[in-house]
Amino acid sequence: MKILFAGEGGQGVQLAAEILAHAAFLEGKGASLIPNFGVEQRGGVSLAFIIIDRDVSYPKFEKADILAVFCDRAIKRVQRYIDRSTIIFSGPAVTSKVSENQEFRVEDKDLPVKVWNILVLGKIVKQTKIVNKKQIITALEEKLAEKFNKDPSLKELNLKALL
Amino acid sequence: MIEPNFPKSFKIETKPAKFCPGCGYNLILRNLGWVIDEMGIQSKSVFMTDIGCNLLAWDYFDLPSCQTHHGRTVPTAAGFKMADPEKLVICLIGDGGGYAIGLQNLIHACLRNSPITIILVNNLDYSMTGGQVSPTSLEGQITDSTPFGKKTEIQGQTFYGPETLKRLANKNAYIARTSSDKPEEVKSYLRKALETQKQGNFAFVEIISACPTNWRTDAAETINKLKELEKIFPLGEIV
Amino acid sequence: MARAAYDAGAKIMFGYPITPVTEVFATWVRLINNSQRLGLQTEDEIAAGFGVCGAVLAGERAFTATGGPGMILMQDPLSMAEAMRLPMVVFDGQRGGPSTGQVIYSQQEVNLAIYGGNGEGLRLVYSTSTLGELYDYGKKVFEVAWQYRFPTILLYDGYQGKMKGEVEIQQTTDNRQQTTLKLEPILTGNMRNTYNLEEELGEVVQNSKADFDKAAPKLVEYETKETEDAQIIILAHGIVASAAKKAVEKLREKGLKVGLLRPITLSPFPEEAVSRAIERVRQVIVFESSLGQFSRLVKAHEYGLEVPIVEIQKPGVGFTPEEIEQKVKSYLGK
Repeated sequence: MKILFAGEGGQGVQLAAEILAHAAFLEGKGASLIPNFGVEQRGGVSLAFIIIDRDVSYPKFEKADILAVFCDRAIKRVQRYIDRSTIIFSGPAVTSKVSENQEFRVEDKDLPVKVWNILVLGKIVKQTKIVNKKQIITALEEKLAEKFNKDPSLKELNLKALL
Repeated sequence: MIEPNFPKSFKIETKPAKFCPGCGYNLILRNLGWVIDEMGIQSKSVFMTDIGCNLLAWDYFDLPSCQTHHGRTVPTAAGFKMADPEKLVICLIGDGGGYAIGLQNLIHACLRNSPITIILVNNLDYSMTGGQVSPTSLEGQITDSTPFGKKTEIQGQTFYGPETLKRLANKNAYIARTSSDKPEEVKSYLRKALETQKQGNFAFVEIISACPTNWRTDAAETINKLKELEKIFPLGEIV
Repeated sequence: MARAAYDAGAKIMFGYPITPVTEVFATWVRLINNSQRLGLQTEDEIAAGFGVCGAVLAGERAFTATGGPGMILMQDPLSMAEAMRLPMVVFDGQRGGPSTGQVIYSQQEVNLAIYGGNGEGLRLVYSTSTLGELYDYGKKVFEVAWQYRFPTILLYDGYQGKMKGEVEIQQTTDNRQQTTLKLEPILTGNMRNTYNLEEELGEVVQNSKADFDKAAPKLVEYETKETEDAQIIILAHGIVASAAKKAVEKLREKGLKVGLLRPITLSPFPEEAVSRAIERVRQVIVFESSLGQFSRLVKAHEYGLEVPIVEIQKPGVGFTPEEIEQKVKSYLGK
C-alpha cells in the first residue's frame, strides 16, 4: 500500500507519517517511510512517502494508493502521484479541490490547528482500515510519549482528533 | 673525539638538521629537546608538525612524530589526545599554518581548552615557499607576494596571536610569546607549556624566529631585526 | 550507523552537522552517554576528519560522517589517510550536487569517495543498498580499515539515511562491543607524507598500490540476481540496485531474461565478476543517479569487452522499480 502525505513544514506531516508507519510496523505488516523536504524549517514543501508492505526495496513510488493533502500549496506538487485509483483525503486547511478523484474532506471538528494532522490521520485509518485501531493508538502514544508526559491534556486532545 | 652535546631525545642519525644556517628552529628545537630530557617525558611524548619549514623536523626527535596537513596539526593533535590522554602531544606550526589556514582550528582548540602544547614559530612569512606575506607580516613588509610592501588595507592588520587567544582561553591555559634570541625564556616557556598540558590545559607559545633566508639579512642584520621585532610583538607570559 | 560503529568498538566520533548525516552524530552522543566513549562536534569537516586521523594514530577506532560539500572538505584528511595508510572511517551520505545542491539524495559522490583527493584512489568504498546493510557494513568498515590500513568509506545516500524501516540485527554474543578495542598505536616511529624527490614518493605509492592489489581479491564484494541465463544485465549500485532487484523480479515473472549485478565494493571494483556476468549478454544497461560517475568506473574496468552498454542517468534523481522495468522492457522491444 503506497501512501503519500503532502503539506508544508510545521504542519506535522512527518509526525503523522511516522505514527502511521510505526502502527503498521507494530501490526507486523512492515513499513518503510521516507521524508522529502526542502531546507526551510517552516513553510517549504514537506512530503512523506509511506509504503506498507513486508518487502520494500525502494522507498518512493510512481503513483499513490492513498494521498493526504494538508495545504493548498501542496496540491500542485502531488498531481504527478495521482492516478485514477488514488483515494484522496484533504485536511481542514485545504480550500481547493485536489483532483477529479473521489476526495474525503476532513473537517476540523472545532479542534485546534496543531492537531489537524492527527485528524487527517484518524480519518484515513477509519476510512481505509489500513492499520487497526489498537495499533494506531499505541503508535500515537509512543511517538508523543514525551509531549504527553509534560502535558497530559495533550493526550486527550490527540486521541480525540484520532478517533 | 669530542661528542656533540645533544639532547637524548634527539635523533642523532638525522643531524645535521635541514634548517637554514641562522634559522631560529635550531635553537628552539634544541631547547625543546633539553626540556623533554629534563622532564623525563620522552617515552610519553608525541610530536606533530604542520607543512612548512616545521615539516623538516619530522625526523628530528627520537619521538613518535607525524607530519600532518597545512593548518591541520592542531585538530589532529586534539583528536590524538582525545584517544590517548596519557600522551603529551606537542605541535610545531608556523605563522601561516597557525594564523591563516589553521586559525579556525587553533581558536576552537583554545575555546575547548584542548590539553595540547602548541609551539608556533613566527618568522613573519611563509618561508618554505619562498617568503610570502603571512598574517604576522608588518605593514610595508616586502615579501614575494607583496613586492611593493604589505598594505594593511588590502592584506589585513598584523595578527597578534597570543593576545587574541588569551581573550578566549581558559584561565588555567598558558599563553606566552618569546623570541629565538632568548634561549633561557624559550626553554622556560616550553617547559611551562608542557607542564600546563600535564595539568590538563591548553598551552600556546609563539616564538619570534629568525629567518635570514627570507628576510634577506646577514648575521648582524638578523640580530638587529629580531631586536626590532621584540619591540613590536610584546614578549612575556600573558596573564 | 551509530549503533554499528558502537558495536564495532569505535571510541570516538567527530562530527559536523550536515544533512543527511546530522542524525548519526546526534544518535552517537546519546548512545555513548555515561560511557567512556567520546563525541566531538568540531568547527568544520576538515577538523572532524583530522580528528579521526589523530585518534587512529593513537590506536583508537574513530570515525566521522558527512556528505555533499562536507565530503569535499573531507578530501583533505582523506588524502593524508591515503598517504599515511591510516584506517580512517567515513560514512558518506550522498546528496545532490554540485555545490549545496539538494539535501535529499544522489549517487554523485562516487568520484569523491574513491578519487576525491590528490592521490590514486587507494581507498575502500562500500556502497550499501538497504537499511540492514547500513548496520552490517557500518561495522565491517572498521574491521577492514584496520586490517588493511586504507581509508574506508561507507557510501550511502540520503534516502537510506532518512528511511525508516525494519532492520534485523543479529544479536550474537560477540556482536556488542561493550568496551572499545584498544589497538596498537599507529604512530610509533617518524611518519611523514612529504618527500624530497619524485622517486621517493613514487616508490611509496607503488608499495601502497601493491598492498591494495594484494588485498583486493579478499575484499571485493558484489551481488547477482538471475544473471546466469540473462540476455540483458542491469548494472547498478546502492539503492538504485534495490529498485532494480524488484524490477528484475517483475520482468522475470513476465518471462523476460533480465539479470542484475550489483557491485558492493566500488573500490576495489569487482572487475572479474562483472566481466564474467556480462561477456555473453546482448546488452548491458547501467542505471545511476549521477551523470556517469558509476558507469565510468564500469567502462574503465571492463575496457575491451564488446557488449553494448547503455547508460540511463538522472543526476540526483532516483529510479522506482516500475521505471526501471519500463526502461528495460523498451530495450527488449516489448
